[in-house]
Amino acid sequence: MGSVLSTRAKVWWAVITVVVLVGALFPVVSIFMTSFKASSDINSGTFLPPRWSTENYEQILASGGSAQELFLSALRNSIGISLIATVIAVVLATLCAYAIARLDFPGKRLILTTALGVSIFPVVSIVTPLFNLWRNIGLYDTWPGLIIPYLSLTLPISIWTLSAFFRQIPWELEQAAQVDGATPWQAFRKAIVPLAAPGVFTTALIAFFIAWNDFVYGISLTSTSAARPVPAALAFFTGASYFEEPTGAISAAAVVVTIPVVVLVVLFQRQIVSGLTQGAVKG
Amino acid sequence: MNAQTGPAAEPPTHGRHAAPSTTEDRPTDRAPRDDARRGAPDAEARAARSDRARAEARLGWYLAGPAFVVMLAVTLYPILQAVYDSLFNYKLTAPDDRSFVGLNNYVVILTDPVWWQALWVTLLITVITVAIELVLGFALALVMHRAIKRLRGLLRTAILVPYGIITVVSAFAWFYAFDITSGYVNHWFDWVPGIGPDLNWFAQQGTSLVVIIASEVWKTTPFISLLLLAGLAQVPGDLEEAAKVDGATAWQRFARVIVPNMKAAILVAVLFRALDAFRIFDNVFIMTNGANGTEVLSLLAYRTSIGQLQIGMGSAISVLLFLCVVLICFVAIKLFKVDLAGARGEK
Amino acid sequence: MRRRTRALAVLVAAGLVAPLAACGPGDDGTPVLTWYINPDNGGQADIAASCTDAADGAYRIETQLLPRDAASQREQLARRLAAKDSSIDIMSLDPVFIAEFAEADFLAPVPDDVADATTKDVVQGAIDASSWKDELVAIPFWANTQLLWYRSSVAEAAGLDMSKPVTWEQIMQAAQDQDKLLAVQGAKAESLTVWINALVEGAGGHIIDNPEAPADEVELGLDTDAGRAAAQIIGDIGTSGVGGAGLPSEDEPASLTVFQGDRGSFMVNWPFVWSSTQGAVEAGSLDQSLLDDIGWALYPQTVEGSDARPPYGGISLGIGAFGKHTDLAYEAAQCIVSPDNQAEYFVTNGNPAASIEAYEDPDVQKAFPMYDVIRDSLDQAAPRPQTPFYNEVSTGLQQTWYPPADVNPDSTPPASTEFITAVLQGERLL
Repeated sequence: MGSVLSTRAKVWWAVITVVVLVGALFPVVSIFMTSFKASSDINSGTFLPPRWSTENYEQILASGGSAQELFLSALRNSIGISLIATVIAVVLATLCAYAIARLDFPGKRLILTTALGVSIFPVVSIVTPLFNLWRNIGLYDTWPGLIIPYLSLTLPISIWTLSAFFRQIPWELEQAAQVDGATPWQAFRKAIVPLAAPGVFTTALIAFFIAWNDFVYGISLTSTSAARPVPAALAFFTGASYFEEPTGAISAAAVVVTIPVVVLVVLFQRQIVSGLTQGAVKG
Repeated sequence: MNAQTGPAAEPPTHGRHAAPSTTEDRPTDRAPRDDARRGAPDAEARAARSDRARAEARLGWYLAGPAFVVMLAVTLYPILQAVYDSLFNYKLTAPDDRSFVGLNNYVVILTDPVWWQALWVTLLITVITVAIELVLGFALALVMHRAIKRLRGLLRTAILVPYGIITVVSAFAWFYAFDITSGYVNHWFDWVPGIGPDLNWFAQQGTSLVVIIASEVWKTTPFISLLLLAGLAQVPGDLEEAAKVDGATAWQRFARVIVPNMKAAILVAVLFRALDAFRIFDNVFIMTNGANGTEVLSLLAYRTSIGQLQIGMGSAISVLLFLCVVLICFVAIKLFKVDLAGARGEK
Repeated sequence: MRRRTRALAVLVAAGLVAPLAACGPGDDGTPVLTWYINPDNGGQADIAASCTDAADGAYRIETQLLPRDAASQREQLARRLAAKDSSIDIMSLDPVFIAEFAEADFLAPVPDDVADATTKDVVQGAIDASSWKDELVAIPFWANTQLLWYRSSVAEAAGLDMSKPVTWEQIMQAAQDQDKLLAVQGAKAESLTVWINALVEGAGGHIIDNPEAPADEVELGLDTDAGRAAAQIIGDIGTSGVGGAGLPSEDEPASLTVFQGDRGSFMVNWPFVWSSTQGAVEAGSLDQSLLDDIGWALYPQTVEGSDARPPYGGISLGIGAFGKHTDLAYEAAQCIVSPDNQAEYFVTNGNPAASIEAYEDPDVQKAFPMYDVIRDSLDQAAPRPQTPFYNEVSTGLQQTWYPPADVNPDSTPPASTEFITAVLQGERLL
């Protein structure tokens, strides 16, 4: 594909781009529109809100909003738990992946196979025993009670992604730097860290998305705002009265939790794609 | 539900052919063979090397051990516990009535149409979503692969949005769009035969599954397309060029050159996505909660153990679900020769 | 492995919980009572605040929200209570789960003086629903019942005299003749059990004949004339299309939407529909003429001539058996259910009071002109079966009496009897 495009090719690319954009973004736009409908317009049956209203956002964000406490505590839990689970996973995985990429030791394949096995594990299968154990040792409905199982989601993929990244780092640079008179620490910091950091960061991003997405653990292992994450909390929203549907509030909350995802994707699309495809450090 | 978990483990390794490595290119877990391959010329050197190998092995396990132990602790232990619990009649609200029943829970489950219905629906969803996603994912992968520089960032961003979005949010977005009271889909598409203001998408199995599958496909196609993109990068460009020179049409190039060259990547992508789709939970839970014949295995396990607090019976379903996943893996690897090791660059 | 997990868990827990504990209870030594509330419009939180003030330092009530539907509320509470969780002091309990919780010893016994004080001048339905094996085990808080709501224009056109009891047959016919929709709850949810129970009871039957029996001896009363009459009505509404296309996913709010729409005619629903419709009219999304057109009456009769048994709902307060301050919790519960609070809650949240006195409150009478019908309906109301196996029974009914169009008077009652019996004996999955 040359750099000069024929008119036909240009038209084709325009069409393809529009189709992809609409397909990928439409549901997001759809719930965005719903979130701006006033509660009396929720059933209007239109795509656009008949009147633009921010009442749903007031409900979840403004002080005194009926779902504010519920939503903000869930947001705090989700961010905190996902971040901690990500950090732990990335630290453990960095050590592990370094060993796999640079050292030769028996059991390497066992570790990689285990990571593979854990990553395809049906989450629902282990939620019952965890629930039972957590009740007995007091981890039920606590942050650690979610962080630990989240490691089963974040750790395997971190190990895989990072091993791939580390394998592509030209470790000779470190020796070269040492030959040039740098101390081992300097060599590591100047030569290796800049090469490894993007990989670690990308891995953290991917791991965070996974933890952020969890629903099964979130609804099974929590029961109060002490640890309940956002996806689980959405089921607790309530409308103006006991029986009314919380469609608007859920949509508004959904939009709020989607914004960071979109921002991260826009900023780091290149890194995420390379992290998920090649593990290459293309810079 | 964790669309990202599994398959992602695999793709990173695709493009690493050129990756230099200071250690063995072909690691193995059998130390003796290692030594043999290094071909130590004499005993002294061999001893020195094996000393070094031992130290390296120790360091390796010091570094990798914690991750390994954590992975086992969060999966192996619970599944063994589940196997044990599944042998009891044990309900949390009546803990005193707990009694050992052997394999009776399994007998009850396997003779119950509810289980087989859920298994059938799960398989149906798995097969349909994977088939659609394979086609769509390929298209998206080609788009990302071929896109001119100016469009690449935009397209990748758009494609990654569904990937990053919470599945539950996706489920609500699709649900509200199709819902008979709050949705607009019926109004937009009432010119399509069969769709009208009176169509209640969530009142029967077929239409419910359509929306569930649509949400699942939307959310996870980006992922499979990234796997395939990794595979595409492996197809030697000169082969395609040569086919072009020989006058092959675009389709011929696709079918004869591209696909055969990334067969391994396709099989791995399909296997990972299939295993992921087999665990479907979030979309069904939000949209129908299993009504109208849309119950899937994960939901059945969840409802039994967490919902009804029947720990024994729920554990038995969990164990069976786990065995299903193992079986699918086994069949894929033995029958279809999905080469996981090759795909992840271990060979 | 286990020790390893635990060690790790404890380590992580110590690091994480410590900073969090700072915002936990008891900074000033005041006992904190945690009240698990079902979602509402903030009314229970207000009551918690005012009772905390009234307690003058004796205790502080904090609220924790439960999920929206009754089954999930039970799930959350049962999970914690099974773990003998001491952080549950007061629970807003749906009456259907009281038997199960009482049987499992999840509820602290009600002291006699409290029992006397909180059952005085309370509608009988609420007392029945809060009792298990003839003993009060929870404190009646608010009591709910469904009325028959109708569009006067439709009833008039059909020539129905709404001052007299009407039958299901009549309203179906009236709606059908005018090509209108009947708004009922056909979704696969607790509301379906509510409907089935009211129909069966209205025909003089009971879903369970011996609700206090152990699981393997429970006898169902579905395969009877009463069960068949109920199945006939649900099946007819399902197959005739008078329920509308939305019926199989129609819950209470969805019914209200149907009723407010152009094809609205009759609806069975809780009183929240009144405040909700009023609010929509005030917001300008519905017309005042609609509000003027709405009438109310007692629940329709299953069988002509025999009194309807309207659904009973509401919330009772259960006191957690493992709480540290059960005496204070009962004190707080008494404050919460005071007639004044109930009246206030009725007006602000649309949930009817269990206390008869509250109905005399002028604010209540102004906000709910149908207060007398509600009170009468509560007197006639029949609770759903009070059995420790309610969850199995209700879920079993929802599996077999669904979708409404598939309900058949000849096959559904025996099939559901067989299914639920098998479930109770552990031979089938739910």
